Amino acid sequence: MINYIIRRTLLAIPLLFGITVVSFIIMQLAPGDPTALMIDPMIKKEDLEAYKEMYGLNDPIYVQYFTWLGNMLQGNFGESLIRQGTSVSELIFARLPNTLLLMVVSTIIAFLISIPLGILSATKQNKLSDYVITIISFLGVATPNFWFGLVLIMVFSVHLGWFPTGGVETLGSSFSILDRIHHLILPAFVLATADMAGLTRYTRSNMIEVLRQDYIRTARAKGFKQNKVIYKHGLKNALIPVITIFGLMLPSFIGGSVVVEKIFTWPGIGLLFFDAAFQRDYPVLMAITVIGSALVVLGNLIADILYAVFDPRIEY
Amino acid sequence: MENLLTIKNLKTGFPSKKNTTIAVDGLDLHIKAGESIALVGESGCGKSMTSFSIMRLLPPPGEISDGEILFEGRELLKLSENEMCKVRGKEISMIFQEPMTSLNPVLTIGEQIIEVIQYHQGLNRQLAREKSMEMLKLVGFSRVEEILKEYPHRLSGGMRQRVVIAIAMSCNPKLIIADEPTTALDVTIQAQILELMRNIRRKFNTSILLITHDLGVVSELADRVVVMYAGQVVEEANVRDIFRKPLHPYTEGLIHSVPSIRGEINRLYSIPGNVSSSNKIHSGCKFAPRCPKAFSRCFVEKPRLAEVEELHTARCFLYE
Ligand SMILES: Nc1ncnc2c1ncn2[C@@H]1O[C@H](COP(=O)(O)OP(=O)(O)OP(=O)(O)O)[C@@H](O)[C@H]1O
Ligand SMILES: [Mg+2]
Repeated sequence: MINYIIRRTLLAIPLLFGITVVSFIIMQLAPGDPTALMIDPMIKKEDLEAYKEMYGLNDPIYVQYFTWLGNMLQGNFGESLIRQGTSVSELIFARLPNTLLLMVVSTIIAFLISIPLGILSATKQNKLSDYVITIISFLGVATPNFWFGLVLIMVFSVHLGWFPTGGVETLGSSFSILDRIHHLILPAFVLATADMAGLTRYTRSNMIEVLRQDYIRTARAKGFKQNKVIYKHGLKNALIPVITIFGLMLPSFIGGSVVVEKIFTWPGIGLLFFDAAFQRDYPVLMAITVIGSALVVLGNLIADILYAVFDPRIEY
Repeated sequence: MENLLTIKNLKTGFPSKKNTTIAVDGLDLHIKAGESIALVGESGCGKSMTSFSIMRLLPPPGEISDGEILFEGRELLKLSENEMCKVRGKEISMIFQEPMTSLNPVLTIGEQIIEVIQYHQGLNRQLAREKSMEMLKLVGFSRVEEILKEYPHRLSGGMRQRVVIAIAMSCNPKLIIADEPTTALDVTIQAQILELMRNIRRKFNTSILLITHDLGVVSELADRVVVMYAGQVVEEANVRDIFRKPLHPYTEGLIHSVPSIRGEINRLYSIPGNVSSSNKIHSGCKFAPRCPKAFSRCFVEKPRLAEVEELHTARCFLYE
């Protein structure tokens, strides 16, 4: 098992490497070069050349890449173009915990709600509760995140006043867990809804498929009651494929967090990305792209490992 | 002797919006304690649906529309679902055709045997574990400790079928329904599994309802043979009489289509046509359209199941 985990982790490395190459090329494709943004337009030609020489912009592209990669591996993503004097890593690492918190909580909410609903839907196939869950799921798929977020803010924050309209904590107050949770509920729920509908449908169809299998008939022939058949013999088989969905969900969580963080002014990476995109702050955008990709690779790695842990048929 | 299982006029079908597909059409059957019955007939004649009806495990939307199933004097069709759960796996258990898929892939062999012993016999885990090792030995495993920890995908088809038999036998059922237990296995393994079932039967005096379309298997294991055609019994007799003197033209056809051991080089005989769709309303005998001996009466009247000789019944006008 340990061997398998190590092997899978090593396999992820070339993937991450590839991501950096692609990201770097995209950065090169961006119009203009950094000097155009940084420097006084009246500068003399020789001085400009000297600048370029100083920043390594005249080096061959692969040298530039390896310099960039080397810096990045040391956590150095360069400086923000807009907020002069702040390093990109400072900006990011101040916000990363907020985003991770939001994503982890959203994932948990999504799984905790979707899986029971999917199972209920499957076991009550074509009954009223199945139809209700199905309709809500489709509404969920069709509702844009930003709109749903705004509606929740309007209802629960503005009209009812139950939740704050945004931010991670009440300004000016000292840190408290309850205050954090209070701020987290709405954004985490909105982000979770992005994948809840799909996850519910997926759990439902897996469960229905599993309940048709021969081993379920065997379990019934042993005399087990419906619940024992479903939860002991069906559930694990139905949930193993759901693990892979976890890996597939991450990109949409990262994308979703950009919108959700903007709406709830949640000071995370998504919000930073949103602002940087409008300000053409390339180093920040690049760093977030690389970190986001790394998160996706990591998520898939975790999904693979969980798969191997839960499915005895996977040989490692 | 008292019958262990008596089925009277069983009717099972699959209702749909337009019409109902009839799978079992007024079946009568009885099994005595310790007796081994073979239910034979070609694919689609309703053998599996008969066995699922007994267990009350018909795949939806299948349902039993009429009839009685008496097991030790109790009417199974009137039992509540909870009471039925105490019959399944304990008094009547099943062996399925597909050993490759009938075990749960994510539970160990041990878990799958232990759970049923614990459930029906209320033993603690340790005792149930010992009992399950005993069962695995009974079905021919030697390194039982290791087998307990294995997952099904690591075992061959023959080994899995042994496990399924061990599970079926683990609560000392009075009746075992084996639905084509050897069809999916290769010939040598088939012989071993049949041998195993014969031994079990001798040891525990368990009644067996063996479902098969392989007449070779029938002669190995059964005392009495019930031939089914299109959801009905068409002939019933002791195993010797069936082979020596088949009455119904369908049975004759079935026996002829078994390749002979004496190496005759005749083409394999096959009964022309197939099980005609049971939905169509036949005015006469269901087999008449395919029957080489059919005469005019066969197409207008329905034959009854009648005792032609002692303990030998047939549903055919040739004998009325
Ligand atoms: N899910 C279903 N829906 C509708 N009809 C069905 C369904 N399953 C079975 N049937 C009907 O029941 C009939 C009997 O099926 P059954 O499985 O009992 O045949 P069988 O004798 O066991 O055949 P085999 O030897 O192939 O296993 C079939 O001919 C078919 O018409
Ligand atoms: Mg069958």
